[in-house]
Amino acid sequence: MDLADLTRELETLRADALAAIAGAPDSATLEALELDVLGKKGRLTTVLRGIGALPPDDRPKVGAVANAVRGAIESALAERGAEVRSTELAARLAAEAVDVTTPGRPVRRGTLHPSIEAMREIAEIFEQFGFVTYESPEIEDDRTNFQMLNIPPDHPARDLWDTLYVDVEGKLLRTHTSPGQIRVMQAERPPIRALLPGRCFRYEAVDASHASEFFQVEGLMIDEGTTMADLKGLLDQFAKAMFGADKRTRFRPGYYPFTEPSVAFDVECLVCGGSGCPACGRSGWMTILGAGMVHPVVLQYGGLDPERYQGFAFGMGPERIKMLKHGITDLRLFLENDLRFLEQFR
Amino acid sequence: MRVPLSWLRDYVDVQLAPEQLAERLTLLGMEVRTVEAWGAGWEGVVVGQLLAVERHPRADRLSLTRVDVGSGEPLEIVCGATNIAAGQRVPVALPGAVLPGNRRIERTEKMGVVSNGMLCSGDELDLTGDADGILILPVEARIGAPLAELYGDTVLDVDVKPNRGDALCMIGLAREVSAVTGAPVRFPATDPPESTDRIEDHLQVEVEEPVLCPRFVGRWVSGVQIGPAPERIQRRLIAAGQRPVSNVVDVSNYVMLELGKPIHTFDAAAVRGGRIIVRLARAGERLETLDHVIRELEPETLLIADPSGPLGIAGVMGGATSEISDATTGVIVESAIFDPVSIRRTAFRYALRSEASLRFEKGQEHRLARLGADRTARLIAEWAGGRVATGVVDTNPTEPAPARLAFRPARVNRLLGVELPTAEQRDLLARVGVPTDVAPAGTRIAVSSEPMPLEVEAGGAETLIATIPSWRRDLAIEADVAEEVVRVRGYDVVPAILPHTPMPHYRHSPLRLRHMVRETLAGAGLTEAVTFALVSPTLVERFGPSDDPPVPGEGEAGGRPVTVTNPLSSQHSVMRQSLLGSLLEVVSTNLRQDRLDVAIFEIGKGYGATDEDDSTHEWWRLAFALTGAAEIPAWNRPPRPYDLDDAKGVIELLARRLGLPGPNYVALTDDPRLHPGRAARVTAGDGLAGRVGSLHPGLLDDLELRAADVVVAELAIAGLSGGQPSSPRSVTPSRHPAVDRDLAVIVADSRPAAEVEATIRRHGGPLLRSVVLFDIYRGRPLGDREKSLAFRLAFQAEDRTLTENDLDGAIEAVTRGLAADVGGHLRT
Ligand SMILES: [Zn+2]
Repeated sequence: MDLADLTRELETLRADALAAIAGAPDSATLEALELDVLGKKGRLTTVLRGIGALPPDDRPKVGAVANAVRGAIESALAERGAEVRSTELAARLAAEAVDVTTPGRPVRRGTLHPSIEAMREIAEIFEQFGFVTYESPEIEDDRTNFQMLNIPPDHPARDLWDTLYVDVEGKLLRTHTSPGQIRVMQAERPPIRALLPGRCFRYEAVDASHASEFFQVEGLMIDEGTTMADLKGLLDQFAKAMFGADKRTRFRPGYYPFTEPSVAFDVECLVCGGSGCPACGRSGWMTILGAGMVHPVVLQYGGLDPERYQGFAFGMGPERIKMLKHGITDLRLFLENDLRFLEQFR
Repeated sequence: MRVPLSWLRDYVDVQLAPEQLAERLTLLGMEVRTVEAWGAGWEGVVVGQLLAVERHPRADRLSLTRVDVGSGEPLEIVCGATNIAAGQRVPVALPGAVLPGNRRIERTEKMGVVSNGMLCSGDELDLTGDADGILILPVEARIGAPLAELYGDTVLDVDVKPNRGDALCMIGLAREVSAVTGAPVRFPATDPPESTDRIEDHLQVEVEEPVLCPRFVGRWVSGVQIGPAPERIQRRLIAAGQRPVSNVVDVSNYVMLELGKPIHTFDAAAVRGGRIIVRLARAGERLETLDHVIRELEPETLLIADPSGPLGIAGVMGGATSEISDATTGVIVESAIFDPVSIRRTAFRYALRSEASLRFEKGQEHRLARLGADRTARLIAEWAGGRVATGVVDTNPTEPAPARLAFRPARVNRLLGVELPTAEQRDLLARVGVPTDVAPAGTRIAVSSEPMPLEVEAGGAETLIATIPSWRRDLAIEADVAEEVVRVRGYDVVPAILPHTPMPHYRHSPLRLRHMVRETLAGAGLTEAVTFALVSPTLVERFGPSDDPPVPGEGEAGGRPVTVTNPLSSQHSVMRQSLLGSLLEVVSTNLRQDRLDVAIFEIGKGYGATDEDDSTHEWWRLAFALTGAAEIPAWNRPPRPYDLDDAKGVIELLARRLGLPGPNYVALTDDPRLHPGRAARVTAGDGLAGRVGSLHPGLLDDLELRAADVVVAELAIAGLSGGQPSSPRSVTPSRHPAVDRDLAVIVADSRPAAEVEATIRRHGGPLLRSVVLFDIYRGRPLGDREKSLAFRLAFQAEDRTLTENDLDGAIEAVTRGLAADVGGHLRT
């Protein structure tokens, strides 16, 4: 082979390769072509093997031609490669398209019971004002549930709590969380700011607004200068936090043997906004809880000097809070555990 | 207490509209529950005048009337009553009228004559107790006027609190109205017209138990004629919720509602020798009470008796023999004061709580005994004729001196957080009949009452002394004065401020860990349930306390079940000792509502008692139940039911969340509630203990659970009762890569995987970081009783990158250990 032959072969190789590249349908063909033409054992290498037979003077000339051929093929490969990949990508994307409007693969999420959540929400609000949480037993003794709360045996006020008694001497199922007041007072020294959430029991025929088991959250604050104005301020904040910052609230007289004075705390009707409707008995107000200044008898049973310490207690039903807030009309739903009800909460 | 406004107005002027009055009373502490338009049930009933009353052409016992109802053409109406005559005005229910009890009146044909409505009796209108005759209206009643215009009223339903027995009557509420409006209270006249008879000649009273009956006032009335009370009175009683009975009986009810004084009247002829003895019952005595029940009397029962035996249970219920009847002519009036506790106990003992006992229980004003007796005698004379004997029998005529209560206006202000001047406090108290004076030096102040009385010296502070009206038995300590001041002033005087007193020390919420568990489980797809703590005896028997190992700081399950002695129903009569039964009931009800999958949990208590020391204890547990689809069924994955491994996965998730070591399972074959081959005791370090398993198929049937499998768990968890979550110690991850090695271990099929895993860990050396079971294989070429467990072991060093050679020793040790400890060999 002489210089001319070799040069011709290179040119042929270039022409063939370029034609093949231009006609390559996909990147796999291009990769095969690249290997076939430019690979270690490819056609270009094979052609150039003949270079050793040329006179030394001709060798650079062939080298120059070979480089030009390699350059042309490489750039054709790159160019065609880009074209082919872009086509292929478009095809892949088209092939991979799904109907994005179908629903996803659902992840199961349980819900938390509204009674317990209500107690947590209540605690979160009062925690901001320094209230800390305690718990006390559900099977209580008569003395703590009643007598130490200024409700002696055979007192007419006992009618306010229809009681379930148990077959253990002196014990009953607590009718309210108020006995926790005594336990906290006996365990702590003022300043006291306590919350006592928990389950309570009553001898009560069950209907849409009465339950034999329910929850309560008791609040207790005692110090040397704790007044009814503090109570009003805190409860007002509570109502605004729970029901909305624009809600008006009021105190009116109430009665509990363990507080004096005693109040009922009302918030403006969440249904009619205060103009009066069936939900609020046309009064424009809804009662959220009962409260009052801790009775001196109770303070003394708690080991505190009523001449030095004073404070307030309140008790509310978390279910009632939830009923008002979510428009639930039947108290029984809270213990029926119908998932269709429970799953409405979050 | 039902308060017809027309009745209340006898004692105090009311200018306010009913709704306004209701609002003001509510703000004064007399909560008005409803404002009822009385007469709203007389739709279509008008005043008519009888033009003619003739015999019905075809029925002797019916009359044919023509009635002018003011609409032009007179109406023909058939009527069965005999007390009607032309010229009378009567209530006419026009066709379309609706009477109380939702009774519709239509045009009807009666024995061939069309009746265009109905003439009404007092009973049909709920106006009087008379069901026989037509109600005859006053001649001045306007013809055609709606009956409501004539007899309509407004009735307030007032919730009188237990401490205000004095307000359970018209006079008491008139006083409250007076406190609101300042209008004076008119006390009714009580003096009866007295005859020449002297009571001493007719009635003697002997009180053997002066502590239980501090005062007994008797009156004697002869020559009465029993009949109906005046219609006006009957109307009032009915509106107030009392059925009229007869004039004499109605008097006692009327006086009770008017003055708050329960009164009893005896047929004088039935009281032997006119001698009344107030004494305790004797063993074996019996009495037929007014309700015609013969009762065995218990010795603590206070009786009204005559020399021949019991006449009635004092303050609770009279006896049948001395009951006022149509034949009664002589009446003995009893107006007594009884010990409130004794009355309450007696009323409960015989299950005879009444309007009367309710008032006695709350304590009675001493002077009311005399006033009540007089007023009763006066009204009997007025409504039933009769002569009232001169004088009273009074076992304790001395009126006690009014109570005096000292208070410091500054202390009132300090309690309320207000600054009401002393003069204003005095004015407010005066409005509820509480006069005040400056207290003499050295006056002691009652700060607390029985059973923890406390009196203090005023210590130089301005002190007033209030004179407590005899009817206000509720005012006993300084704080009571504060309440009186603020309720009369109105609570809007109390400002709303935020506390500026010192804060208590920080305290972790005892609910923190509980909330953490709740959130974790909800995130894992379980919904929180809250079920009854009181369950049925069957449920407690079936689901007793589990004997799982104790968890430090958490109550142990056990003790005998606690039973309610006065349950509402047997379904809720015993305190539960396990949550599982309750959760299965929830599963059951939801399945019955065609729910296919249920995943629920509850954090609740079990309860038990120890008889040795009459103690009770409560323990917190977490329980959950899973059944149906483990994942929400969807088009994009195959369905898969919940099984034991899901339950274990939930427990493992919890252990991880709580920083506990991976749970350890041990087969549990003897829990009758659980499948013996699919149940395990589970522990995670000493922080969690309990059991998990599939429900026993037999129990599934017994509970009629419509499910193929229900997986349950009940766990004690450290901190559930109030502990705090632990915080993890952090370890810096190694910078050198871990090397994995997979081992397939062939062991006997009966060999628990946990033992094989433990063996690998035991022999794996210090570089072994983790062991994970990733496959279980049974079948050829393995033997029948063999299985292959595939584990992935990860080795890692802190200081270097491991090479294959580093692992050879460890794998060799593991291989030897498996052979020795669990009879296993590696599959190659
Ligand atoms: Zn409303």
